[in-house]
Amino acid sequence: MSLLSLEAVNTHIGQYHILQGVDLEVGAGEIVAMLGRNGAGKTTTLKTIMGLHPRTGGTVTFDGEEIGELRPYEVASLGIGYVPENRAIFADLSVEENLRIAERERGDLARSIDFIHDLFPDLARLAELPGTSLSGGQQQMLAVARALVPENRLLLIDEPSEGLAPVIIEQMMEAIRSISSDTTVLLVEQNFVVASRLAQQYVILEEGRSVAGGAMADLVDDDETINRYLGAG
Amino acid sequence: MTTATAKPSLGDRWSKAWTRDRRRIIVAAVVAALLVIGLGGLDPEDWFVTIMRGLATGAITFLVASGLSLILGLMDVLNLAHGELFMLGAYLGWTAYIRPDTTVDLLAPILITIAPFALWALWRPLGRKVAALGSRWAGWLLVAVGLGGWWWAWRLFPLAIWDPSVYAESPITFSLAFDIGTLVPLPAGTFGGPALIAVLAMLVAASIAAVGLVSFNPTGSPRPSAKGIGASIVALAAGLSILAWREGLVEGLFAMNPTLRFFLAGIVSVIVISAIGAGVEVALIRPLYDRPIYQLMITLGFGFILIELVREVWGRPEFTMPKPPAFNGIGEGCPGQGIGDLFSGCSTIEMFGARIRTYNELFIVGIGIIVLVGVSLLIKRTRIGMVIRAGVQDRHMVEALGVNVRVVFMGVFAMGAGLAALGGVLAGPSIGLSPEMGGRLLLSALIALAIGGLTSFPGAAVGAVLVGILQQIIIRYGQTGIPLPWLEEPFKPSPPLVPASTVLLMIVILLVLPNGLLGKAEH
Repeated sequence: MSLLSLEAVNTHIGQYHILQGVDLEVGAGEIVAMLGRNGAGKTTTLKTIMGLHPRTGGTVTFDGEEIGELRPYEVASLGIGYVPENRAIFADLSVEENLRIAERERGDLARSIDFIHDLFPDLARLAELPGTSLSGGQQQMLAVARALVPENRLLLIDEPSEGLAPVIIEQMMEAIRSISSDTTVLLVEQNFVVASRLAQQYVILEEGRSVAGGAMADLVDDDETINRYLGAG
Repeated sequence: MTTATAKPSLGDRWSKAWTRDRRRIIVAAVVAALLVIGLGGLDPEDWFVTIMRGLATGAITFLVASGLSLILGLMDVLNLAHGELFMLGAYLGWTAYIRPDTTVDLLAPILITIAPFALWALWRPLGRKVAALGSRWAGWLLVAVGLGGWWWAWRLFPLAIWDPSVYAESPITFSLAFDIGTLVPLPAGTFGGPALIAVLAMLVAASIAAVGLVSFNPTGSPRPSAKGIGASIVALAAGLSILAWREGLVEGLFAMNPTLRFFLAGIVSVIVISAIGAGVEVALIRPLYDRPIYQLMITLGFGFILIELVREVWGRPEFTMPKPPAFNGIGEGCPGQGIGDLFSGCSTIEMFGARIRTYNELFIVGIGIIVLVGVSLLIKRTRIGMVIRAGVQDRHMVEALGVNVRVVFMGVFAMGAGLAALGGVLAGPSIGLSPEMGGRLLLSALIALAIGGLTSFPGAAVGAVLVGILQQIIIRYGQTGIPLPWLEEPFKPSPPLVPASTVLLMIVILLVLPNGLLGKAEH
């Protein structure tokens, strides 16, 4: 059974009908890549799962429980971590506090800090600095690390490679791979090379609808689908 | 720590600060110089008094400004009723201090009302059904029915309340009597029907109102948290116990040391106004988070309602709140000598050749400093503070991390209201009580915020102190006059120039520093 499933999800933002029927399944332990052009509704889908945008139709099920009605903090408390597109590092908090604020129970950070520092050794060195003083790559690491502080079963990661240097992208991919050994990941990724190397499954969104999906291994050889939904223009 | 983050030398830090904050440093220096010049025109023995009075005014202004600033920073809400919460805080403080019998009588129905509201989540399924009717009017109808029923039940409760139209029972008379040293009890009331019916009716009415309010935003789990259930049970039990043991409680409070009762009154006022603040956030602000203009209007209107309510309950004329006796002594051994005599019971002490009032200028300033340090520590060191700092920047992300931001908002609103109430209770004995006292102070507080930087907590303190000292300097010059070469008589600033001078200071500072002294640039 899949850990997360969306059926015919619709979302309006103001008067705009952004999601017009998104179906997707994320099996436990998988990395699923959500692909599509700019404006296809990928970020909105993640925000709808988190409850940050109210869903106007369809169902969102996590671990057999309907979560479409829940508030964002309740969704998070079920064990869903969110790494947003803009990273949303808190500027007035130190790096250490940026992690601590993600604690859902006392001791979460103490439990996970070694794992986080193994993944991103930079963060140990920067712990006392304010969030603003980080580079783009370090901010991305911190945003991912923040989602690892509590015991999450599913991570929603939005564009982890965006705007990063190739060396940092490699490090980020390595990190996501090692996270996925015990956490399920739903990944939004514009960079097809990154997505294809990380994910086992994919789903493609176009104009607010899910239009294709399946095993990543099949998509890599399917030039027609790639050109149709992901190619330029 | 590794070498990469080695501490820079003092000189380095200063030169960095200079390049980054040149304007601020110059403005701060100019303001400081102006204050020195302003004080320099006064007689030497006046300096100290004027500064202390300025700090006292600043402390009261700060207590209002700090809450405004926290609320504005975290929720983008400018609470125009904040001055009226300050005013109501003063009136409630007076009541708990001078009329403990009435206070005890009021507590029971209020606590009983809180009990159903603490079970907020429990009403969500019902609220959802009401929301499903498709019209917001259904929710408002329930709120109205709840309020009506509550009023009916309220009238059944026994309340020893004064009649402001009878001089012998007016707050003015009670204040005078207290200063002479007597506290006359009002005749105790009795239930206007079976007590059980009154209590049940109040519970039911509050539940109906709660369902109506929940229906405006019924999403979320229908299971009340353990804390909510606990709070509900505690409130109900406390309300019922107060009803049962009224006489003993009242007797104890009458026999209590009046200074202690003053502190107790402060605590009661802060708690009640905090609760009212929480209720305002839930009922008035929360449905309007996407409509800032409506929030301004509704808080403004709520303030007007509070003013009229206070006039109705406490009567029209202004009256004083007696000082706690520990700061009101005269006669032998008074005035005290030096700060060591602060708790000697004298109303004034001599310091640096000047006579300082212990309550107005020392006690109030002391409490202001304690609040400044306490709230700063809360913001810097605690988890709540961390959430507030993060929420100022991005409340959606904070919520997506698993923090119930709504509860934090409610808490901060309650805390801001509580600080205003504390200011009101403290200000009561020094500036007296009047329904308009809040509006005047809100203006000072807003100017202080603009000067200090709207959402900066230290900025609120700096701005409040500047505004306070400036006001007191102008007031002092109003008495002594400024000799100007082209005028035959010394120029005496008239009272309207006191607030005008603070507006002028604000304008000048904002022209040079649009974000205030310590504010951050708007994003």
